[in-house]
Amino acid sequence: MEFEAVIGLEIHVELNCATKMFCDCPNNPGDDPNTNICPTCLWLPGAIPRFSAEALEKASLLCLGLGAELQPKSAFDQKVYYYPDLPKGYQLSQAHLPLARGGGIDISDEDGKTKRLRIHHIHMEEDVAKLVHEMEGRLPISLVDFNRAGSPLVEIVTEPDFRTPHHAMEFLKALRTQVRYVGSSECSMENGTMRVDANISVRPKGTRQMNTKVEVKNMNSIRHVGDAIAYEISRQSQAVQAGEAVVLHTRLWDPEKKVTLPMRGKFEGPCVPDPMVPVIELTPEWIEKMRVRLPEMPAARAGRFVKQHGLTGEEAAFLSEDPEVAVYFEALVVRGIAPRTAMHWLATQLLPAVKERKMELASQPVTPERFAALLKMLAGDEINANAAREVLTHLFESGESPEEIVKARGFKQVSDAGALEAMIDQALATQAAAVADFRAGQGKALGFLIGQVMQASGGKANPKIIRELLAKKLNAVS
Amino acid sequence: MDSIFFYRNPDSAASGDGALAGLNIAIQPNISKAGWPVDAGSRALANFTALEDATVVDRLSRSGAFLCGSTKTSEFGFGLAESRAGEAVKQKIADTELVLDMTGEARLAAAAAGVCGFKPSYGLVSHFGLIGLIPSMETCGVLSSSIQNIRGILKAVAGPDEKDFSLPDESVPDFTAQLINPTKTAIGVPAEAQSDLTDEQRERFRLSIEELSQAGFAVREVSFPEWPLFLAVHKIVGSVEASSAAGRYDSVRYGERAPGAKNWNEMYLASRGASFGTLLKSFLFQGAFFQFQRYTAYEDACRIRARLVADMKNLTGEVDFLALPVSGGASDPNPATLDETYRQFACTAFANVTGQPALVLPPASKGQAPLQLAGPRLSDAGLLSLGEHLLKLREGGK
Ligand SMILES: [Zn+2]
Repeated sequence: MEFEAVIGLEIHVELNCATKMFCDCPNNPGDDPNTNICPTCLWLPGAIPRFSAEALEKASLLCLGLGAELQPKSAFDQKVYYYPDLPKGYQLSQAHLPLARGGGIDISDEDGKTKRLRIHHIHMEEDVAKLVHEMEGRLPISLVDFNRAGSPLVEIVTEPDFRTPHHAMEFLKALRTQVRYVGSSECSMENGTMRVDANISVRPKGTRQMNTKVEVKNMNSIRHVGDAIAYEISRQSQAVQAGEAVVLHTRLWDPEKKVTLPMRGKFEGPCVPDPMVPVIELTPEWIEKMRVRLPEMPAARAGRFVKQHGLTGEEAAFLSEDPEVAVYFEALVVRGIAPRTAMHWLATQLLPAVKERKMELASQPVTPERFAALLKMLAGDEINANAAREVLTHLFESGESPEEIVKARGFKQVSDAGALEAMIDQALATQAAAVADFRAGQGKALGFLIGQVMQASGGKANPKIIRELLAKKLNAVS
Repeated sequence: MDSIFFYRNPDSAASGDGALAGLNIAIQPNISKAGWPVDAGSRALANFTALEDATVVDRLSRSGAFLCGSTKTSEFGFGLAESRAGEAVKQKIADTELVLDMTGEARLAAAAAGVCGFKPSYGLVSHFGLIGLIPSMETCGVLSSSIQNIRGILKAVAGPDEKDFSLPDESVPDFTAQLINPTKTAIGVPAEAQSDLTDEQRERFRLSIEELSQAGFAVREVSFPEWPLFLAVHKIVGSVEASSAAGRYDSVRYGERAPGAKNWNEMYLASRGASFGTLLKSFLFQGAFFQFQRYTAYEDACRIRARLVADMKNLTGEVDFLALPVSGGASDPNPATLDETYRQFACTAFANVTGQPALVLPPASKGQAPLQLAGPRLSDAGLLSLGEHLLKLREGGK
């Protein structure tokens, strides 16, 4: 029997707010344990949660960025469960009235076809404390770090629209890009600012039934999400084929053994409305104000790049993935660099160079002004591509302008026909074999001859003029 | 004789200045004062010391009042078993006392002590620093022999607080005394509120109402057919809120951690089990039952609560104030069972459900019962003026 999987994701995203969700403590969970704490986030008797406006704004921008509809009325509930990472016994979460509903992301499936993966709802909740298990001599002890307690989270709950690990991974990549775009979170699974749980069930292919699902947690990268889902699909398919029943439970992904293992469930009760956090009522005016703050989203921006700058869909998508790259690209175009040149030099030269130096595009020394000046000299035939690559290296190391570097280091292109002609004659005289090949119809011999002349010029010759002069000479002689 | 105090302020009263200078105030150990032990009457909070002043405490101190100590409270202020609320004022050790009112505790304690007890409108006084159980119903009550004192305290503590976002965005009433014109003031007496009274209680209450008529007020009987639902809604919504909110009192980071547990789960269970008293446990169990087994009943109760609030608003639109008994039909003055506790508060719980203000006056004569007056939400200033008017008449009559 052939099986197909029905998969839904629950994605926790930690918002990069300055403070926690219900108090003014810094939202820096990674600091020394229990340094960012106060009576409110320790949930001490008498403390009252005070909902942060910044958390609401960042969460709302995230919802709008994913095409979800902000609800006029949302509210926090007490999600009751007992665990030492939650010593007050309940977590503030929007169980009944979420912040936003709907929305979704278009991905390309395995066949390159567009597939819509829908979002059911997006709600806000506070993070819980972190448990650290250690040994004190031979005694196992558990320590609680409250730095993370009360950090602002949103949870994105999808519809069970996913069928394959590919869908999940593409969705997560696109989600990460979009959330980074609106600036609400870094969305890194590696450092824990994005955490993904997958609900997976299997059914005979072609049927529409919804079978008992299994929840899988503890994946630390998008790759692991794909692996864990693939493992779980095959595990469940085998179990069903062997006539075993799938029971509702939670499993943990073991990245080393590459298997999922069952875990003990937490006791969870129904949610009751929290009486202390006021109901959140969003006016159409406020929602509009947020919408105006929304940057151009990647899909829209890529579409515009194709139309406005004549790029291919692939090129436009590449540039739009990271908002900083997109902004940098347009900063070059605004400075009069041809879009294709800008795209090409950004993708093949600048970005790899920045990455190699472990720098960030926004803060590295080759500003759009300097890079545009360099590309202008290239376009104006003042330097050739070889020289431009070398000047780029110098731009990382010195504060001089590209013009100064070219001048000081003699990168100026030799376009003087007289000087080049002497070098060409020399090459024709010494490379008789190549000349013969060319005449015999081997086109690539021309390239070889151009290389010889270029070498003779110390790399500074204008390749276009060499080609012209060479072609003229070869044709004249024949 | 054992002390009525849980904690006495070691400092002596300083002659400060401010509107409340010279006023000697007792609080209870579920109202935070930085540095004072606040066990809220529970072993779960044994040895817990407040880190910050409650907003009420902070504002009273700024107004020059002196806090003389905290008096013994029932566990988390629910019910009056083992509570000594009201006695400090009765014995004139304190001019006023702050007592949390979540079912009617401040009002019943005042009635028992023979002093005035006021429960302000919900949302008027900050919850910050109050260690309670039923956040949507409880508010800080004030006991005193003098309504002037109560007014002075309300003036000092009421109003928005940046530490409590749950306070509705409303204008604070002007607490200046208002002139009461009895012939233009209608007072309604809900018939259903008397249904549980014994014959003797009923007679005493009749005498109290007579005082109002004699004072010239237009007194008439009104009907509130759904009256019994107030207690039912309080039982369900109040206990569910308490069951969830009491999770905060873990008895692990403070209080008494039970020894001998094999793992954290056992340790939490054992500590909470050992810390909470029987009445509180019954209350929390009841809440857990509705939360986990009868959630739809809880949802129904929330809907009925909204309806009761609307009906009460209509009723207090027809008359200016309501007059009601204070004590319900409980036989034991300090019951320790859940059922008896509820019966004790049968005439006071309505104001916690609706959030309206209520004032208890001591009886004018031996034959009378203490009288409870109530008004619509935010009628606090008028209600206090009505009480003051009646007390003045009594003085004139002597
Ligand atoms: Zn904090």
